[in-house]
Amino acid sequence: MILDIYKDALEYSAKDWKTLVILGVICLFSFLLLPVFLLTGYNYRVINTAVHGVINGRDPMPGFDDIIRMFVDGVKVVIVQIAYMLVPFIVFIIFAVIAGQLSGIASSALMIIGCIITFALIVVACLMDQMGICHMAYNDGAFTKAFAISEIKEVIDEIGWFNCIATYLGLIIITIVIATVVTAIIYGIFTVFGISGAILGADPSGIFVLGVLINSLVTMFIVGPYLSIFNARSIGLLYTMQI
Amino acid sequence: MASITDCVVEGLKYPFNDIKKLLGCGVLFALISAISVFMSMKSFEIFRTTVHLVENSTQSLSQMPFSQLPTGDIYLVVALGIISFIISLFILGYQYDIVKFSIEKKAELPGFSDILGMFVKGIKYFLVVVAYNIIPSIVLICGVVLVGDSSALLIISMIAAVLFIIAYFLLVMALNNMVAHDSLKKAFDFNEIIANISNLGWGKYIGIIIFTIIVYMIIMVAVSFILSLITGVFIATISNQALAVSFFVAIIEGLFVDSYGAIFYNRVCGSIYMESIK
Repeated sequence: MILDIYKDALEYSAKDWKTLVILGVICLFSFLLLPVFLLTGYNYRVINTAVHGVINGRDPMPGFDDIIRMFVDGVKVVIVQIAYMLVPFIVFIIFAVIAGQLSGIASSALMIIGCIITFALIVVACLMDQMGICHMAYNDGAFTKAFAISEIKEVIDEIGWFNCIATYLGLIIITIVIATVVTAIIYGIFTVFGISGAILGADPSGIFVLGVLINSLVTMFIVGPYLSIFNARSIGLLYTMQI
Repeated sequence: MASITDCVVEGLKYPFNDIKKLLGCGVLFALISAISVFMSMKSFEIFRTTVHLVENSTQSLSQMPFSQLPTGDIYLVVALGIISFIISLFILGYQYDIVKFSIEKKAELPGFSDILGMFVKGIKYFLVVVAYNIIPSIVLICGVVLVGDSSALLIISMIAAVLFIIAYFLLVMALNNMVAHDSLKKAFDFNEIIANISNLGWGKYIGIIIFTIIVYMIIMVAVSFILSLITGVFIATISNQALAVSFFVAIIEGLFVDSYGAIFYNRVCGSIYMESIK
């Protein structure tokens, strides 16, 4: 089941390279702050298509029409994520404040317990917030549904906590592997170029600079957007895996 | 029933329906920002002269005769303040019209033909805003004046802040109610206001306002970030022209950004009313 999700998501993200390039351009301008919300908004659209679609179906990539709605959706997604992340953050602050009042072993012991609890909470909050966004998308973007904890918990129960966590771990691993492999290949090619150039008597530094430039371009315009669509699609499909 | 997102999206698109009128409203905002840049420059000058005077004389500032201060500049600043207040009344009047058009579900932006009516509406709008903020302000001022103790002051200012927030949430619906019935009395008809809000649901009502404010803030922060970046670049390249550049940027911001934000916000407020009376 998990492998099916990955297969579908990998194929889906590679459907349209133009979309990837457009996302890359948006990403290039994201230092202007507003495009960040366009990126999250596009991911929301991908999730929206996935939760209403079928696995291995012929779902089209969402388009870039109605930019303003995309922006507002992006703002919603960011708000949901921040709201979920606030919980572990506040717990951590509480532990830190209490530990600050104590001294010696008690303080560090409490801090270690606090860190463990915070970490567990972060994992749960990540799970819940992704599922919350899916649940929101499934219910036509109703804000309250993103925080309907009991409904979301039921959804996760039906999918199975183990499946969810395994899918997430797989996503992280696949993302890291793809990113690393692409970078390694590009650097490998350019190292060969550089060394052979150096043997032939050319200055290799220019070739290395070109390598770094091409690597960052490829990462920004192809690999980054590809992976973000891949992640969004996988999570959306995971949501549809309820019995 | 349209969802929160639909209202906000509609509000964001609305100013693009008629760019000319958006710019017309922008001219007013640009005037205000230009005046405020000028005013802050002048007040800085006054401050500098006053500090200089106090340093060089044996008297303290309160004992100093008024004529020794830079009177001309002070009068200028006061006059500019009054002018910008009058312009802001026109802007409030325009916002009144926007809420009205939103309630009437008109797609176009209101025009500027009825200047006098705009002014009167602006005064109404202003009065309601002041009236709703009187109680929390009194609490805050009483707290500051009467209670010198620091911990009590903290509690009182927190109470005042909560009162300000409550007053603000009521104010939005009160303004809508006033505009819809076109009478000042309706702004203080608490039964109807609260009935309207409960009809919509308090959670949804507060949620939609907070969401709108968040979107508004994001746009404002992002745009002012970009503009300050541009300002920095310009000031770095054209040295010694910092004032001219900040003047220019203030006008740009007033012309496009502030007007857009105000129109967007009031449009959404109007559509909240439409949702509540369904």
